[in-house]
Amino acid sequence: MTEGTEAGASVSAGRRLNRRDFLKMSGAGLAGAALLGSTACGGGSSGSGDLIFSMGTDTSGTLQGLVDKFNKQSKDFKVQYREMPTDSGAYFDKLRTQFQAGGGDIDVIGADVIWPAQFAANGWLLDVTDKFPKSDQSQFLPGPIQTLMYEGKIYGVPWFTDAGLLYYRADLLEKSGYSEPPKTWSELEEMGLKTAKDQGIDNGFVFQGDQYEGGVCNGCEYIWTNGGNILDPADPSKVVIDSPEAAAGLATEQGIVEDGIAPQSVATYTETETDPAFLGNKAVFARNWPYMYALAGTKDYPDVKPEQIGVAPLPLAEGQTQLASALGGWNMLINAQSDMQDEAWEFVKFMTSEQSQRQRALSASLLPTRPSLYQDSEIRNTLPVVVQGEEALKNARSRPVSPYYSDMSLEMQEQFNGVVNGDTSPEDAVKALQQSLTQIVEAGS
Amino acid sequence: MASATTTKGAAGRGSLNAILFYVFLVLFVLVSLFPLLWVFRMSIVTKSDLLTSPVVTLAAPPVGTSYSTVFGNPDFIQALQNSVIVAGTTTVICLFFGSICAYSIARLRFRFKNSIMTVILAISFFPAVAIIAPLFIQFTAVGIINTYWSMIIPDVVFALPLTIWILVAFFRELPRDLEEAAKVDGATTLQAFRKVIVPLAAPGVFTTAILTFIHAWNEFLFANTFTFDAAHYPVTVVIPNFATTYTTDYGAQAAGAVIVTVPLVILVLIFQRRIVSGLTAGAVKG
Amino acid sequence: MTSSDRENVSSVRSAEKTRRGGWFREEFGNPERRLAYYMILPALLIILIIAFFPIMYSVVLSVTDSTVTASGSFVGVENYVEMFKNPDFLEGLKNTVIFTVASVTLEFVLGLGIALAINRAFRGRGLVRAAVLVPWAFPTVISAVMWRLMFQDQIGVIDAVANGLGIISEPILSDSTLLLIGCILVDTWKTTPFMALLLLAGLQTIPGEVYEAARVDGANVMQRFFRITMPLLKGTILVAVLFRTLDAYRVYDLFWVLSGQQLESLSTFVFKAVRISQLLFAQGNAASIFVFVSSFLIALVFIKVFGMQTSTEE
Repeated sequence: MTEGTEAGASVSAGRRLNRRDFLKMSGAGLAGAALLGSTACGGGSSGSGDLIFSMGTDTSGTLQGLVDKFNKQSKDFKVQYREMPTDSGAYFDKLRTQFQAGGGDIDVIGADVIWPAQFAANGWLLDVTDKFPKSDQSQFLPGPIQTLMYEGKIYGVPWFTDAGLLYYRADLLEKSGYSEPPKTWSELEEMGLKTAKDQGIDNGFVFQGDQYEGGVCNGCEYIWTNGGNILDPADPSKVVIDSPEAAAGLATEQGIVEDGIAPQSVATYTETETDPAFLGNKAVFARNWPYMYALAGTKDYPDVKPEQIGVAPLPLAEGQTQLASALGGWNMLINAQSDMQDEAWEFVKFMTSEQSQRQRALSASLLPTRPSLYQDSEIRNTLPVVVQGEEALKNARSRPVSPYYSDMSLEMQEQFNGVVNGDTSPEDAVKALQQSLTQIVEAGS
Repeated sequence: MASATTTKGAAGRGSLNAILFYVFLVLFVLVSLFPLLWVFRMSIVTKSDLLTSPVVTLAAPPVGTSYSTVFGNPDFIQALQNSVIVAGTTTVICLFFGSICAYSIARLRFRFKNSIMTVILAISFFPAVAIIAPLFIQFTAVGIINTYWSMIIPDVVFALPLTIWILVAFFRELPRDLEEAAKVDGATTLQAFRKVIVPLAAPGVFTTAILTFIHAWNEFLFANTFTFDAAHYPVTVVIPNFATTYTTDYGAQAAGAVIVTVPLVILVLIFQRRIVSGLTAGAVKG
Repeated sequence: MTSSDRENVSSVRSAEKTRRGGWFREEFGNPERRLAYYMILPALLIILIIAFFPIMYSVVLSVTDSTVTASGSFVGVENYVEMFKNPDFLEGLKNTVIFTVASVTLEFVLGLGIALAINRAFRGRGLVRAAVLVPWAFPTVISAVMWRLMFQDQIGVIDAVANGLGIISEPILSDSTLLLIGCILVDTWKTTPFMALLLLAGLQTIPGEVYEAARVDGANVMQRFFRITMPLLKGTILVAVLFRTLDAYRVYDLFWVLSGQQLESLSTFVFKAVRISQLLFAQGNAASIFVFVSSFLIALVFIKVFGMQTSTEE
């Protein structure tokens, strides 16, 4: 109550409260509040002169290490790492909020591969086509480069990449008489059921079926490996998800749960639930990103050792030949509003350089976006997942590229999750998506 | 809640009844506290024990790794500080404007008292989510987006009705005579307010402060919408986002939940009598 | 209307009849009344500017085809029509209504039971009171995080126990019905104590003699409850139930966090539309106006139909 009494005291000098006194009183309150604000909320200007770089949580510490290394050699400016939510959706929301609020203060953005089109369409990203010519682009994997293209221009540099992989317990499969990982989904079902039963393991297979971005990746993979598509590869403005192939893909996903190869709870699984299921000796197969390999045998997951697991491309439907997995990973983008664009570019070049990518691969098992590093003997030795998953990485496909991707994603999340938990039939799901995605694509054109 | 009514005192009843009553009480208290106890348990086991099964979690030896993760995270410390600043400032502002307004409603005579009280109350029926879009645009326009003010201002608006409502009830209970006496001695209305009412109402004001503080401390929607960097996130935004590079960190979430809850529990334990009288002041009329 | 207001009104009424705006002079000519308005003004202004002005702005946005970055042109009620065709909105409306009715009913019944049970002197009263305040003091989003951890399929104790006992046969978090039930139970856990305390305070204002008199007249427990307790408690009940109803009707953070953004409520629909979607911004504004107007109607029903008193005057 100190403010109240002070204001009261200043007023009591006059005999009666007139309007001017009143204004003074409320003015004092506001001024006090503003003063408090200016001292307490220097947020916008914090670390002015520093380049601000945003990225989700990095528990390996290599990110800060690289930033420190850069700061040591950089004389003119320093870089600050600003930690953002790990969940891609939450991170995206924060960024978009900031852009809508006029650009914000982040200069360099570590960005999910699905974001560039959306940001670029709004004019929020710096076009780096001149800085990053075709000749330089060719030193990167084509898939990640593709995610950065919007209307013929490129908006960033690929940083590290991800692809959905099939993890299998080589030791358990061998005991049950299988020498090779499954090539088709029906083989996976059969092997998963038998091995789980033989070896007393809870589940045949686990994957990410929750209603979130990862669920979209999983759903797309079932559709692609069955020969279906979301958008027509020849004409991305055409939605082609209402096809027998796509429906068959989602039927495979649903069947895996209904037949008991995967637990019903995969409808709630994200990566967080997948790790302890597979590495806690509770599943024969798992679909996950490359990072999980490095967790095997660590103190958090002591039950399953790296030598017990193998990695392979995702299975295909009967009669299909084209391997496919969802392309994940992260790019480095530059805020169009940044007043340190040259410095930003310098930092992006540093972070995406062969040397930095190599370091991040070795210490955080994040896969490089430069094909040359896949021949690096040290990386091949330290990260067997690179060798085993190379085939899958080469065949990684990007999710639909659209300036309205977040709307598409919301629709797909809902329908795919409905399929996994048995609420929606695959046919209804592809029909519903055909309709809603078409609307979104039309709204965007 | 001044004195316990004893109309149906347990004294005259059989001991069986008394036992049943206490069994009921114990169950009731357990159900109320169970989640906190369980989450505390989850916060002191290793990640691998936590992720194995609830049974393993229950039996696992205690470790402090989750707490060192949480306290080792500068963002969490910053968030605690942010929450204190935002909730504290909100409380001060609410009490300042709220007590002036409440005094006027409780003590002075004027025509539109009821309409004004209804308008103020209507705010507590207001769906906060309904104004986030326009507020976002306005805050951006005046440049206070992603500052403490972008949380404090809406927090004040939604806490003020509560503050006024409770304070009006408290002010009404104060004896009128003292104030009248002060006025007879030549004090102005404001002097009477400051010298007589404010000291007398201090306990009520303090109770209101606790309630307003808890209200602001718990706010999530505005904070999650109007802030976008760790320098400004309060704890309610930071804790659900505790994670490692690819996965959610359940242990850290549990530890964070315990850390922000324990001060509230202590506050509630110490001031339970006051809090109850504050909560019920507006709703119950004699 | 209260006695003091009535006085004020009758004293100004004659002046009002003779010329328009008479009440204005009457109110502002009197220094004490003028002071009263000055004292109310700051709080009122804050509330009006920050809450009512945005709502008006939202009304405007809801009849245009604006996006979050660009203002659009007038499209009439199109957004409202589209909204009522949107299955997500309808799902949110359905869930919100079920959630509100179920949780408020549960909280009221349990809260009244608890209030009746602890309306007596006993040892450990303070402890019980403190214990029941704990769930209430919890930040909703933190309690949602905690309960989600307990509902979780691999590590969640409640999921394990419920599945073990055969109460449910599937993981809680993957089934939208179970999720909705979960939200209702968590809300009941969190706010029943609050309801119980309000009702308890109301019970304690009923004088014991009333019950004694009824007992002498031969009224049994049920008769005493329905003839004395309920009528005398009506005011408190209405206030408590209305507060809880409007609070439950706005549910956002509980659904958002507990269900991992899966379960739709009116407020989560608004949030997704205005914050995540690029295309539904105007429709989201229409939905928020819908939430506002319907909340207002609910309050009106309580006040007009059930005769709730909004005044706090004695």
